[in-house]
Amino acid sequence: MTVDELLTHGFEAVSLPDGSREIDGVYIGDLLSWVMGRAQMDNAWITIMTNVNTIAVASLADTSCVILAEGVEMESDLVETAKQKEVNILRSSQPIYETAIKLAELLA
Amino acid sequence: MKELSLNILDVAENSVKAGASLTQILLTEHDGVLTLEIVDDGCGMSEDIVRSVVDPFYTTRTTRKVGMGIPLLKLACEQTGGSLAIESVTQEANPVEHGTHVTATFNTNHIDFTPLGDVSASILTLIQGHPDTDFLFRHQTDGGTVELDTRELREVLEDVPLNSYDVMEWIGGNLQEQYEALSADAGMSGEE
Repeated sequence: MTVDELLTHGFEAVSLPDGSREIDGVYIGDLLSWVMGRAQMDNAWITIMTNVNTIAVASLADTSCVILAEGVEMESDLVETAKQKEVNILRSSQPIYETAIKLAELLA
Repeated sequence: MKELSLNILDVAENSVKAGASLTQILLTEHDGVLTLEIVDDGCGMSEDIVRSVVDPFYTTRTTRKVGMGIPLLKLACEQTGGSLAIESVTQEANPVEHGTHVTATFNTNHIDFTPLGDVSASILTLIQGHPDTDFLFRHQTDGGTVELDTRELREVLEDVPLNSYDVMEWIGGNLQEQYEALSADAGMSGEE
């Protein structure tokens, strides 16, 4: 499943420079240094952290997309940074657990 | 990072890389505020570089070796309502007094305060990895002070390297004893 395809399942695009990326697995976490060493390439990464380091970690770990759960907002200048650094970011209004379940169904 | 002691290790490693002969790691806990200072006499950074080290993309993209140390430390203090400041003087600007001074403040009672963790282990790791560089570690709390100065150890030890097994073991034991003396008094965590 590609990042683009999530848009038809209730996920909202925040930054989508490369929606054709294929999603392979999911990682969940908010402690950025922890995520940095554990998220795998092409994972969809569910988090509620919305600072510039989130974008940096997604870029380093080369995740297919960041999914901001709980409907958290990302500041517009950070959205610009994400686009510039080619980091896909989506938003889900659902809490982390429900977001993860939804992804599990879609990726099954 | 899961523990501030890992942030400390990371940032102090930058000081060593900057060619510091003395790196000071100073922790002060008082009234629910923890102040962390890392002061070195290394080559210093220009204003432009100081501005860019807090940007994770500067550090991850152009000089990967520096790591996310400063951006993550900044996040750790800001999420408790504290702040991070960096002052630096380059060797070119002042050939005598140059170096970098990182100051991070944390509100220790904030729910998102990252535990300090095992600072002694970080200090030991630094000494082990850089036996020819000096470190001054001082942790001041309302219950007393823990202090270790490798310059003093060096004077006593003369030619024995600081990272020899016996010396490392002595330093570890000594720090532990100092921390235990604190706990017996007013506690080392700085909590009320």
